[in-house]
Amino acid sequence: MKYRGRFVVSIAFLAAAFVLTLAGATLLYAQSEIGNYVQQNLGAVVQPSQNLPAPGAKYSVGNYPLYWPELEPGEGVELVTSYCNACHSPRYILMQPPLSRDQWAAEVTKMVKTFGIQIPEEDQPRIVNYLATHYSPETRKK
Amino acid sequence: MAAGSLAFPAAAQQGNPPDRLPTFTGPGANPYWNSVGPVATYPQKFPLVLLTDRPVQLETPRYFFQSPFTPNGAFYVRWHLANLPNTVDLGEWRLEISGNVEKPAKFTFDALMNSMPATTVAAVNQCSGNSRSRFQPRVAGGQWGNGAMGNALWKGVRLADLLQSAGVKPGSVQVQFQGLDRGDGPEGLGSNAFLKSLELSDPVLKECILAYEMNGEPLPMLNGFPLRLVVPGYFATYWVKALTNIRVLEKPDENFWMKAGYRVPDTPRGTTTPAEIKAGAVKTVPISRMPVRSFIITPDVDSKIPMGMMVAVRGIAFSGYGRVTRVEVSDDDAKSWAPAKLGEDFGAYSFRTWEFSWKPRRPGLHLLAVRATDEKGNVQPDEPVWNPGGYLWNQIERQRIMVGTEHAGGAK
Repeated sequence: MKYRGRFVVSIAFLAAAFVLTLAGATLLYAQSEIGNYVQQNLGAVVQPSQNLPAPGAKYSVGNYPLYWPELEPGEGVELVTSYCNACHSPRYILMQPPLSRDQWAAEVTKMVKTFGIQIPEEDQPRIVNYLATHYSPETRKK
Repeated sequence: MAAGSLAFPAAAQQGNPPDRLPTFTGPGANPYWNSVGPVATYPQKFPLVLLTDRPVQLETPRYFFQSPFTPNGAFYVRWHLANLPNTVDLGEWRLEISGNVEKPAKFTFDALMNSMPATTVAAVNQCSGNSRSRFQPRVAGGQWGNGAMGNALWKGVRLADLLQSAGVKPGSVQVQFQGLDRGDGPEGLGSNAFLKSLELSDPVLKECILAYEMNGEPLPMLNGFPLRLVVPGYFATYWVKALTNIRVLEKPDENFWMKAGYRVPDTPRGTTTPAEIKAGAVKTVPISRMPVRSFIITPDVDSKIPMGMMVAVRGIAFSGYGRVTRVEVSDDDAKSWAPAKLGEDFGAYSFRTWEFSWKPRRPGLHLLAVRATDEKGNVQPDEPVWNPGGYLWNQIERQRIMVGTEHAGGAK
């Protein structure tokens, strides 16, 4: 009995000491941590398939992937996707930094005058307006 | 100076890593080492940072620059026109030399590889617009971080040998290069064909090679299989991919990619201002050699260095004007400098690795900087450049590094 009591006391003492040490450690030092995870979405980046090329003189890598961009919905978006997509993916728009109305107008003018895309006169300001409305320093969201 | 500031977007300062980088940066400068695009996988490539998908533009992540030679699978990709090669039939492919020459000729891949003397050169290929996302104010164009560059060991035949065998006629002024890529724009415009030319009098012609090997392997399709023009020291715009045509010209090339594209202000460092551009008073010249640059590759911002540790700071340097002869590191925001140890010399136009043993003198946030000097005495400057094309960036690079303590509250 006496023996067991002493044992209980010593356990309580140890537990108290442990809690105090822990509290002290928390106050004095940043704690080490283990086992923290955060849920993420997997699969945005996929591993490429592995294909043995066919024999012969043809050296092929197959098709390149296309990633249709999520452009902001709004007036003129369909003009942008159809005309800009003639020569390059509309993803080019998302890759640009936010540009002012003047800068976007200069880009559209360059595509028409320098690179020869045929866009009806009345559609050109609509395209500029869409780009300036959604992709300027003041308005761009994503 | 903005680049010297310790300020950073809020997302990067959170204790937990953010889910991902922002989808775009601006109107301020991109504060990240790489472009912020998503990561994507492409044939013969490791996952790279996607800028655009049609045509393909991919940026090399920072960690691939830990070695002096950039792996082919990590080498950045930049095409101008949407219709780039998916398949090359070497049974049909020929390299044709034509124009103002005595003996126009066509070469098979086998003839180039097995019947002509081979030359090897280590050379950095860097996009003219590398680091364009640093520009203030921002300019339109590919928003590259620092990863539109790579170094490879290129093996092939000398351009000079081919020109000599073809016999350049008197009255010739330039040599024009074209590859397999085509655009959907009207014929005669820059949106239809990508053409680049070099002056026949340019000494770089003697150093040019037509490379069929890259780091001892065939070129990846996206880097210009089967043959690519290598112009050591020059920006990559001249390194025409999937090369098929060499034309000797009697008149200067006036196509878009020479007359309007890839031109820089004819000023020291090619810098100007938006006001001067608006006034229309800026004379331009075709871009040519790459100014001296250096980069800190490790440690990155997410490394935390315990106070008292001697840490190896490592990186690369290069110059289009010749060998890098000195690399220096600063830990006081580019006020004082100490020399770094240079790695193996692979030639005048290669990446040169460097290493600097750094022992932080205090805990807390540090700003390391690196600058290189080349054999012509060009020292990397600490002033930014600005031009409307977003070319020639070579400002001193900085890296924020957090140094920790052994006791809480030690760092302020």
